[in-house]
Amino acid sequence: MDTELPLSRIRTIMKSSLNTGQITNEVLLLMTKSTEMFIQKLTKEAYGKVKDDNTLKYKHLSQYVQKEKNLEFLLQIVPAKIKVKDFKKILELGDVNSSSDSEDERQSK
Amino acid sequence: MVERIEDLNLPNAVVGRLIKEALPEGANVSKEARAAIARAASVFVIFLTSSSTTLARKQNHKTITAANILDALKQLEFESFVDPLTSDLETYRKVTKEKKDKAKTTNSTPAANASGANDEDMEAEKAT
Repeated sequence: MDTELPLSRIRTIMKSSLNTGQITNEVLLLMTKSTEMFIQKLTKEAYGKVKDDNTLKYKHLSQYVQKEKNLEFLLQIVPAKIKVKDFKKILELGDVNSSSDSEDERQSK
Repeated sequence: MVERIEDLNLPNAVVGRLIKEALPEGANVSKEARAAIARAASVFVIFLTSSSTTLARKQNHKTITAANILDALKQLEFESFVDPLTSDLETYRKVTKEKKDKAKTTNSTPAANASGANDEDMEAEKAT
């Protein structure tokens, strides 16, 4: 049974984070095949978000990940990007809110 | 074990090839998107391992079984993977069984065993 991804690398990743017991050849094969299918499913479905130049970009992936319930585990891995300009706006909004809060407090005193 | 963090990355060339296969003809993928898919795939392995381990523990098993993985995939809403994986598993089991049977028949040929043993005896005698 052939796989495209290297079995040894998949085994290393499996062992990296958990005290997984022994990994049988069967389990390793299924894990590797699942990962290959996962890569292709993610690619195909995220490509559905592409509109103009036939190029799958980061933003298509992050849009797709945001929307799919079974990809919740990827939200922090493929986060939506935000422009510095917009981030500053959010910060300013935060400042306005906090300053108005303190005003309220003063008035209530 | 894991010595460098790069050891958790999947090889770029292979991931790139899998992506290309999944895209329609003439479509492209940006470098950044390809890197994100590779990262997502590594996390998927950890995620599926952890879910399968939890299922195994529930049955008081320390070792994950193939059934644990298939059940975990259902639980995580990747049901579409289950059927193709089940047939992969069947093929794999058949092939390994055939290999084993073959090994048994060649090993148990008495003539081969006997002559092998004699050779060893002779070697031992020479040595003494």
